[in-house]
Amino acid sequence: MPPDPAQPPASHQALPEAGSAPAAVAADPDVALMLRLQAGDEAAFQDLFRKYSPRVLQFARRFVGSDAQAEELSQDVFVQVFRFRHRYRPQSRFSTWLFTIATNLCLNEVRRPERHLRVDLWNRRDGEERAEGPPLPDPTAVTPEQGAAARQLERRLEVLVAELPAKQRAALLLSRMDGLAYRDVAEALGSTEGAVKALLFRATQTLKRGLREYL
Amino acid sequence: MRCRRAQRWMVAAVDGELAPRRRRTLEGHVAGCPECRREVAATEAVLAGVTGLARSGCEVPSHLEQATLRRVRLLAAAEEEGSVARRWWAGFRIPALAFATAAVAIVAVELTRGAGDRRAAPSGPRAVAQAPARDKPRVVASRERPAPKVAESLPAEPPPELAAAPDLFIELPILRNMEKLEHFEAIDTTTLDDGGEQSNG
Repeated sequence: MPPDPAQPPASHQALPEAGSAPAAVAADPDVALMLRLQAGDEAAFQDLFRKYSPRVLQFARRFVGSDAQAEELSQDVFVQVFRFRHRYRPQSRFSTWLFTIATNLCLNEVRRPERHLRVDLWNRRDGEERAEGPPLPDPTAVTPEQGAAARQLERRLEVLVAELPAKQRAALLLSRMDGLAYRDVAEALGSTEGAVKALLFRATQTLKRGLREYL
Repeated sequence: MRCRRAQRWMVAAVDGELAPRRRRTLEGHVAGCPECRREVAATEAVLAGVTGLARSGCEVPSHLEQATLRRVRLLAAAEEEGSVARRWWAGFRIPALAFATAAVAIVAVELTRGAGDRRAAPSGPRAVAQAPARDKPRVVASRERPAPKVAESLPAEPPPELAAAPDLFIELPILRNMEKLEHFEAIDTTTLDDGGEQSNG
């Protein structure tokens, strides 16, 4: 059964009330923004949105592989942040809490049975340019040929990441996003660090096999 | 250390998540194993590529921010309405609970009193005569209810077929052995009331 996207992990719910960890507030400016949001400051929400929406949107794009769905999911993520703002506890990093919500929503989205039909309907034909996400910057690409090869590699990598099992994909993207530690990834996935290591190992092995000709 | 285990530790090592002791072990193995050195390079390249995918610049369209803020404001308004309703209910709740409690108490007292009356009332035929007046009409009504008149619903005469050949329809054993009962007609039966003067036959 997929996790409830609206529910932060249990560790958040069991923690003491907000305001009891001034050290965490001092260390993480996002926590201060969240506390302002809890106090009813709408400007704090806008600040959080402007700071994190690019990363959330990119995460969702890489996860679900569709611009339109990624935008819907990003909206949902921030609406859930607002709805459950009083459940946030400052003992955890805000980004961990945010990406927990994002991961749960993305996992729910990719597990929906009707999604497969929708994705098939909107799938681009082979050879058509993918619109979502700008190309990866590649400082080593100094000639057109090298640039073309880098774009080909990037597209191949995108496809391989999109084909990974959902949990492996989630662990891989979370561990690459925002410098989330394995502990934070495990928290976002409701799992353990050992399980995250196993997921990442399997995902990396799959990607290496798929990119063997480029490596 | 085997290559298989070394490969399992490579991702964590590249991410800086491997314990120092294991890291030293892995480094020692990789230093002497060309195959694992290639694997480390491939792992680093793949993870760097995924990091680039995940962190590549992404413009958030302006309509996304506007739509999100619109939804959040609607949610905030709904929350405000909900809190007003909760405050109203909080003011109304105590009188409502008091009224409900009083109603339950009254019903309970009435039921207890009725049960006490029934226990105190005597039983038996005399009790029927002494029963409270409110019980009497029910008893009288049940006694005055007319009995169903079964005889009136039966036909006065048997059907012609049955009248013509009753043996075809009546197969009771006692009637088939009627001749064995004939001698009972000769037996005089007396009752105490007759004093032996009347015979039954």
